[in-house]
Amino acid sequence: MIGRRAHERTTGAGASGRRRLAWRLLAAAGLLVVAAVFALFPVAITDPTATSIAVFTLVFMVATVAWNVFSGYSGYLALGHAVFFGCGGYAVALAARDWHFKGGWDVFGLLPFAGLVAAAVAIPVGVIALRTRRHTFVVVTIAIFFIFQLAAFNLSFTGGTSGIELPIAPFTAANYNQPFYYVALAVLVLTVAMSWTVRRSRFGLQLLAIRDDEDRARGLGVKTTRVKLVAFVLSAIPVGMVGGLYFYFLGQIFPQFAFDPLFDISLALMAFLGGIGTLVGPLLGALVLESLQQYLTQTFSGTGTYLIAYGVLFLVVILLLPRGVVPTIGQYLASRRARALDPGAAREPAVRHDVAGAVR
Amino acid sequence: MSALLEVTGVSKSFGGVHALTDCGLEVSEGKIHGLIGPNGSGKTTLFNVITGYERIQQGEVRFNGIEITNAPPDRVFGLGVGRTFQLTRLFGRLSVLENMLVATQREQGWLRGVLRRSGSLAEKRRAMELLEFVGIARLAHEPASNLSYGQRKLLELASLLVADPDVLLLDEPAGGVNPTLIEHLAERISELNGNGKTFLIVEHNMEFVMSLCDQVTVLSQGTALVTGTPDVVRANPAVLDAYLGGEDDEATQRRLAVSTTGGPARPTGVTISSPIVKPAERLGGPEALLRIDGVVAGYGGGDILKRVSLDVPEGRITCIVGPNGAGKSTLLATVSGLLRLRRGEIRFGGEVISGLAPRQILAKGIAHVPQAHSLFPDMTVRENVEMGAFTIDDRALVAQRLATVEELYPIVRERAGEKAGSLSGGQQRLVEFARCMMLDPTLIVLDEPSMGLDPQTRKIVFEMVELMNSRGKTILLVEQNARAGLKLSSHGVVLENGIVRLAGSGREVLDHPEIGALYLGGAVATDATR
Repeated sequence: MIGRRAHERTTGAGASGRRRLAWRLLAAAGLLVVAAVFALFPVAITDPTATSIAVFTLVFMVATVAWNVFSGYSGYLALGHAVFFGCGGYAVALAARDWHFKGGWDVFGLLPFAGLVAAAVAIPVGVIALRTRRHTFVVVTIAIFFIFQLAAFNLSFTGGTSGIELPIAPFTAANYNQPFYYVALAVLVLTVAMSWTVRRSRFGLQLLAIRDDEDRARGLGVKTTRVKLVAFVLSAIPVGMVGGLYFYFLGQIFPQFAFDPLFDISLALMAFLGGIGTLVGPLLGALVLESLQQYLTQTFSGTGTYLIAYGVLFLVVILLLPRGVVPTIGQYLASRRARALDPGAAREPAVRHDVAGAVR
Repeated sequence: MSALLEVTGVSKSFGGVHALTDCGLEVSEGKIHGLIGPNGSGKTTLFNVITGYERIQQGEVRFNGIEITNAPPDRVFGLGVGRTFQLTRLFGRLSVLENMLVATQREQGWLRGVLRRSGSLAEKRRAMELLEFVGIARLAHEPASNLSYGQRKLLELASLLVADPDVLLLDEPAGGVNPTLIEHLAERISELNGNGKTFLIVEHNMEFVMSLCDQVTVLSQGTALVTGTPDVVRANPAVLDAYLGGEDDEATQRRLAVSTTGGPARPTGVTISSPIVKPAERLGGPEALLRIDGVVAGYGGGDILKRVSLDVPEGRITCIVGPNGAGKSTLLATVSGLLRLRRGEIRFGGEVISGLAPRQILAKGIAHVPQAHSLFPDMTVRENVEMGAFTIDDRALVAQRLATVEELYPIVRERAGEKAGSLSGGQQRLVEFARCMMLDPTLIVLDEPSMGLDPQTRKIVFEMVELMNSRGKTILLVEQNARAGLKLSSHGVVLENGIVRLAGSGREVLDHPEIGALYLGGAVATDATR
């Protein structure tokens, strides 16, 4: 009896159900259009400058979405994901050199290996860093990052400052960027699927609970250390994969690019701009910021210009959309929908009802 | 009946303050067990020890025969012990329904839990049933942060029930909640108890505890004092002493004598005939330095202070006593401007100060020494004391004040270079006093200066309060140890449930026959004094 009543409440009335269906159709149509744009981009626009910007952008979209799976959902700000980016890059570079890869599509076959290496690195890093909480965690991830950077400069097998050459892909000059684009796009689809799955799973709910109140989550039986570690490792894998792809695309790898502190900060900023902890926010943030940065760098060549544009953009976002683009829009839509469904209630949420009333 | 939850010989201290000393407790299966005691007696600490939030060096905790001493919270929960928090804790950015789905199912393997989509239909239905059970189902899709205080309490309880624990530890479920909801909550607890759930409840609302619980344990200074049925506990004079503060005080002797002879408890010379004193009927004597008039204030939805009026006479010590949750600390917070009052007026030296910022009130000469440890633990004693005068630019004046304070409190000089966190609880109190004296205030507001201190240190602290008074400071004091506080004070005020119930000289209030009833609730308590 109680169960049926509860069920009716969850399914909602017919009118709102139809409205919800309309929303869903609209969203599906939008998704299809976005997918088509991404799939056809390098076919429609063949200018190598544009397609190379697209490849860089996709790399950062993957990394930001992956970073968000850990930092966005759990609220633990990791500023050391360049470790996985660099390790993925070195894994591909060393494997391609030592196992005599010809260069071509075969090197892309090493990307899952790069992901595995990143995961293998992420386990001990996570075990150490996750012994600390919140602010200390941020500092520890930065410290670990610098250990890796230092190691890459000084260990013999990385080639030190002279770096490692990767095989040259034998793609035609006109279409050189296309394979990289599509492989990156495939990795992006997988990463977004992972983020979506995590968000909808009980595991994801536990991460969000940790973000809101870790101690209480433990009191509800959540094995917080394990949950955080699994998310940390999951988020490292795609970053390692695009690290491999990125340096294969560039043709060489140097420590200062493989372990670049700006990479760490960029991921956080991109996720923050779009909306940290959301599914779409990091995608949007990376899309806008990375393409803008690449475009400005390539157009004005002066390295400082993009920083000014960056600064202006961030000021605007902080002033107008302090929680990031996606959450702000989401909240606006939710309040609109609430008003449409219940015109009398206007903007007053259920908070106003007194407890005794709720309890009857 | 075997004990489901068993605590033996647990001791726990925080930096010199003993929170629990050789504490033992047995909770029988299927019972509702109440845990009461004055502030700082260790109730929440005991909860934290049982549920794995505090580690202990001594003692043992067993659940269902399994040792869970120092087990992590997730394991304790997995075994079937769920708890709520005194200040309700929820996942604010998750929806009410999502909050219900966080708790792990006890039998479920971890990997299956990970792969599973959150909230299968069956799980969601169960969650909705429980929300319906506590009465907040229609808020299921609201963000939890939108809930009112009472609704949060209900959600916190419901979110535990999802995992079907055997024992529920509730930390002040009725605290700050309106009467209708308290009744509702009591019904739900009885119903769950009828279905076999065991409860351990910390609560200050005596009516709630006494009517609901099968067994009650009284904690006093970290030790279980008495365990028994509500009637037995209420009739035990030691319980009242625990609340009022016992020791060798002559009043205690008299009280004990009265309780054995069975004579009338009311001594001669009591001037208060009605329990409620109207502002106009206040005592004569010196001019009121602080005048509180019809103050209404509270946090969130409810009013904690419901028209409080009282005068604090200049140059004297005024002590406010009353049961936990009466609104004592809230009253002090409105005086020092930390909490805005909703209605009424506060005047200080004839000037209206209600509505001013805390900083401005401080500048007028009211210094507040709060209840919690308020020193900066990693700063030295000297630095802490100097912080008291950081608004003063005149360095010569600061040096002069420091010299005075050092003379008054030798500890400030003796331990000047040590970190404040390394001092004992009593020493920290003295440094706090020293810090507030740096501003040379006219009125000093002290919140529970003796809390968590042993009797000897407490005596020293009280002597220091008298010393400050003898230096011309007017003192407004809130004290859990009612006997010691009232004995010290020229004026006493009893606050209960947000209103002034008694006011008079310290002695009069202390000897008033109804004071016991105010502390232990209901008419039965007066039996203890008869």
